[in-house]
Amino acid sequence: MSMSGLLRTSFTRTALRRGLATEAGQVAPRLKTFKIYRWSPDKPTEKPRLQEFQVDLNKCGPMVLDALLKIKDEQDGTLTLRRSCREGICGSCAMNIGGRNTLACLCKIDPDTSKESKIYPLPHMYVIKDLVPDLTQFYKQYKSVQPYLQRSSVPEDGKEILQSVEDRKKLDGLYECILCACCSTSCPSYWWNQEQYLGPAVLMQAYRWLIDSRDQASKMRKEMLQNSMSLYRCHTIMNCTKTCPKGLNPGFAIQEIKKSMALE
Amino acid sequence: MFSKGLMQRQALRTLHQTGKKSLTIPFLSTLPQNPGGVKGDVNEAYQPPSPSRIHGSLHWDFQRVTSVALLPLVGSSLAAGGDVSVVADSVLATVLLGHIYVGYQSCIVDYIPARVYGKNHNYAMYLLTLGSLFALGGIYKLETEEDGLTGVVKKLWTAKSATEEKQ
Repeated sequence: MSMSGLLRTSFTRTALRRGLATEAGQVAPRLKTFKIYRWSPDKPTEKPRLQEFQVDLNKCGPMVLDALLKIKDEQDGTLTLRRSCREGICGSCAMNIGGRNTLACLCKIDPDTSKESKIYPLPHMYVIKDLVPDLTQFYKQYKSVQPYLQRSSVPEDGKEILQSVEDRKKLDGLYECILCACCSTSCPSYWWNQEQYLGPAVLMQAYRWLIDSRDQASKMRKEMLQNSMSLYRCHTIMNCTKTCPKGLNPGFAIQEIKKSMALE
Repeated sequence: MFSKGLMQRQALRTLHQTGKKSLTIPFLSTLPQNPGGVKGDVNEAYQPPSPSRIHGSLHWDFQRVTSVALLPLVGSSLAAGGDVSVVADSVLATVLLGHIYVGYQSCIVDYIPARVYGKNHNYAMYLLTLGSLFALGGIYKLETEEDGLTGVVKKLWTAKSATEEKQ
């Protein structure tokens, strides 16, 4: 057996014995308490409650989503939550963690084990189960701003609709929105009037299509916002901008819409 | 159609929400609301109210204009120590009333929406308008018979110092 073959065998043996990950060694468990909102539609008369779970932070990933999935895998399989990409791109795992709307996958667990971490679904939404809110109205509102390019004319050469670099730059900070609904559900105005007020996330998308240099439906888009409820329930509270897990600024976008409609 | 039936059934699912009592004004009658606030099929887009500039951009403009106009009006009255002309004082009082009027309209739209309270929304608006008209009459009385709005504020100041002197 050659030298390299010997090395490879010993390496394989070690890898088999302890796995590819480095063992943490014997350290005292760091038990963190999570208090999670529970409500099940199977028992609709039962009041929602906070259920306590303990997770050893030494055996858990750094993010709240890791802890939630660990709880679901090892302690209580009935814990219900939405999650998909686990890296802040899909916007599924939006919830209220420690009093702030954020994505569980982008929110680090507070390493201080003396403090408990409270997790609720997005505030003031109808709850389907546990941490899953009903976003039907939110998506209906998104659909109502017609989030797609609308033109009355096509380019003469029949090719692409061109956009200058400057015009493209206007869309930065708007197109990154993943529609996680963190901002809308943090807005007190949306809490009171979510049946009619569109909310920061949807209004920012409305603005994204209003300022797109390729779009020609601005007049119709503004007409849809020209009432007391859809746009003007924004009172510049700015919770939306403060809570956005992607660091976007919906409050600014809404203000820009109001400014552009001021003289109409 | 199967898919439509499925969607409609879905809209009837059980949802949990905060007790209605803690979200509405107790002594006002309310209209029944759809589960989840969802109207119609889940795949239909939300229908915005019909466009109205008066309730939309003009209302917002009026709020901004009055608040910006109030800055120099209040500032100059304060700088003059209350010794302002009747015209300047009338303008200040009227603009202030207009600002408060549209501000309260916003509050009513926020907290007593027609969607939930139906006719009560209109009654609240009428009450606000009636009160504002009374206030307008009061401003007229203040400007013609007394020292105007700044005079009232000035009196409050002197009244305070008078009680202090007594003590």
